[in-house]
Amino acid sequence: MTIDARSRVRRTATATLAATLTTALTACGFVNTDDSSTEDGSDDGGTVTAYVNTEQNAGLAPLVEAYQEETGTTVDISSANTDELNQQLRVQLTSGTAADLIRVSPGNSSPVAAGVLGREGELADLTDAAWTADLSDDTRALAEVDGQVLAFPVSRNAIVMAYNKQVFADAGLEVPTTWSELVAACQALADAGVTPIAAPFQGGIYFQFWVYALAATLVYPENPDIDEQLAAGETTLATNAAWGEVFARIAELRDAGFLSEGMLGLPPDQGLQSVATGESAMVLLVSAGLPQLHGYSDQGAEAFDVFALPASDDAASTHVPVAPDFLAVNGAAEDPDAALAFLEFLAQPENVEAYANEMGVLPGLDVGVSLDSATLDPIEPLLAEGRSVGYANYLWPNGDVQQTMLQSGQEWLDGAIETADLLTQMDAEYARGQS
Amino acid sequence: MTVTLRRPAVAGGPGPGHRRVRRRSNVPYLLVVPALVFYAFVVLVPTLTGAGYAFTDWAGRRGTPGFVGLDNFTELFSAPAARSALRNTLIIAVSTTVVQTLIGLALALALHSSLASRNVLRTMFFAPALLPPVIIGFLWQYILTPAGPLNDALGSVGLGGLTQNWLGDASVALASVIAVIIWQNAGLTMVIYLAGLQGVPPELHEAAAIDGAGRWQRLRNVTLPLLAPATTIALSLTLIGSLKLFDQVYVMTNGGPGYATETLSVVMYKEAFVSGRYGYSTAIALVLTMIVFAFALLQLRGLRRYEVRQ
Repeated sequence: MTIDARSRVRRTATATLAATLTTALTACGFVNTDDSSTEDGSDDGGTVTAYVNTEQNAGLAPLVEAYQEETGTTVDISSANTDELNQQLRVQLTSGTAADLIRVSPGNSSPVAAGVLGREGELADLTDAAWTADLSDDTRALAEVDGQVLAFPVSRNAIVMAYNKQVFADAGLEVPTTWSELVAACQALADAGVTPIAAPFQGGIYFQFWVYALAATLVYPENPDIDEQLAAGETTLATNAAWGEVFARIAELRDAGFLSEGMLGLPPDQGLQSVATGESAMVLLVSAGLPQLHGYSDQGAEAFDVFALPASDDAASTHVPVAPDFLAVNGAAEDPDAALAFLEFLAQPENVEAYANEMGVLPGLDVGVSLDSATLDPIEPLLAEGRSVGYANYLWPNGDVQQTMLQSGQEWLDGAIETADLLTQMDAEYARGQS
Repeated sequence: MTVTLRRPAVAGGPGPGHRRVRRRSNVPYLLVVPALVFYAFVVLVPTLTGAGYAFTDWAGRRGTPGFVGLDNFTELFSAPAARSALRNTLIIAVSTTVVQTLIGLALALALHSSLASRNVLRTMFFAPALLPPVIIGFLWQYILTPAGPLNDALGSVGLGGLTQNWLGDASVALASVIAVIIWQNAGLTMVIYLAGLQGVPPELHEAAAIDGAGRWQRLRNVTLPLLAPATTIALSLTLIGSLKLFDQVYVMTNGGPGYATETLSVVMYKEAFVSGRYGYSTAIALVLTMIVFAFALLQLRGLRRYEVRQ
């Protein structure tokens, strides 16, 4: 190799090394690059970045378009399904790359829930926003952390019992309004050769709806302070009679054979299909799942109706569990004012209504919205009377109590453990979550 | 006759008897540096940092996580759910490795023949290994539901008594998962053995046959010993793959019913991404890495010794 050739090789190697190191260091954030300006200059009105779940993305799309036209502000939305979002958001917040507006879970139900992130100082205080006056009590309880409102409800979902109208008609049944009526209806359906209640408990997601729906009537109306008492150690899930009653109700249905056979191996989609085909009569689900159920029938929504799950023999005591779907402002948002302005826009009654109608969900704020769909009409009176509570797990200290309920709950459904064992395990997780 | 080959002297180069003076150049080292920097940032730093987190209570929050010593490891070996996951992982690893290897070998021996349809059959048996594990999980989740095609098929041929709640009954769910994994990967083991069989000289079989060896004796004394390298590869890949099994379990059962099919990988995922206990999850990952490393090392050493003996 000649001297010139060696020199060329050295120069090439040095240049390659320099380029690689520059790239690596830039990627690691040691070299700052100014990428704040956009090439097309479309950010005159500012930019709001948002990371939402896929449902929110679908509901927000038309509103974002209108907002951009109205204000000139760019709303840059990324979306992912809720599980994926929950996994990524924690890392994004820690690394400082999270969007201005983020989807957070209610209460303390996950590592990226409003309560958890709020206590860590990751969320901006929204208390002064005008729309906070329109929060319903059940939503406010989950949006507030230490007296500060930290989350905006874009919508709410309720847990409802959906039923196949034709199956009920064939069995000559009316909608049950008390627990005894529900059990009697199940017996009549079973006698008619129909599985009374589809129980697609594979994975445990649909099992938890039963716990929350029964607790909404059996636990919270009797003792609204139960969560404070649990947190203070004044009572436990295992020693609280009302909580024992929740699982006794489910056991009653299971032992009577009113739930799907092989329920622990039945996936949700097949459970819903069994109701659509009339093989089963009812299924307890979140209202956001109703479009999927309707899609399994040729008649669509016409084939089904819903009612609030009764848990006692006092029809007037039936409550509906309701869950808000939250957006929050990142405490380290690049443009928090722009994010707050966008929330103000979403809080306008016509936009609350537009979102609810677009998605077929309950409005996030109490602003006198009229819904196009009559699907949830049967539970509207309960909501109007304030007979709604948040899901029971939201104010547990973390998501691990729920996770234990889902997994050990399957063992309980299988008869491998007793109710006391299950509740004791949940208490242990509860205590660990507080430590 | 012995032939000795000598490397010819390069024209113009130093001949025999000349001492070759070589100047060491730094250029090769410089050229390696970019790759080393990349490797360090992508592999070494995350791995070592991750190992460090196993001794902390890191919950994915800002700030410095607290040092907890061996608490995470103590919890891992004392918590019933984690112990159950460890047991399930080992059951899956051992049973999958043994059964899959035997089935793969049997398929390879059966299809290493002059059968006209052998290529079609090889393709059919190998095809599941080409599908993503997640897709396999979804397909079998559907097939194994209580009212699914498998139970329907059993019922339609008069075997209704054998129908099961394959994924919903804790007593059969783990076996169902293992069966699916074997179904998917037996074809891969078959291909490894087929490649090994190509290297078995037919003359040896012919000589053994002339010496009066039957089919079984030829298989035992000729074929299997010469397949030792293929066995090493097949067993190693299967064992390592089954120890870190995640996709099919997560999709088909999510570890349930209860904790019946939960593996260490699934627990690791849930602890990190559902519960936000990254420190504990990293401890599980570290233990899993150690287990995989130990098993792989022991197995490789044992099999290499077997290869040498053969």
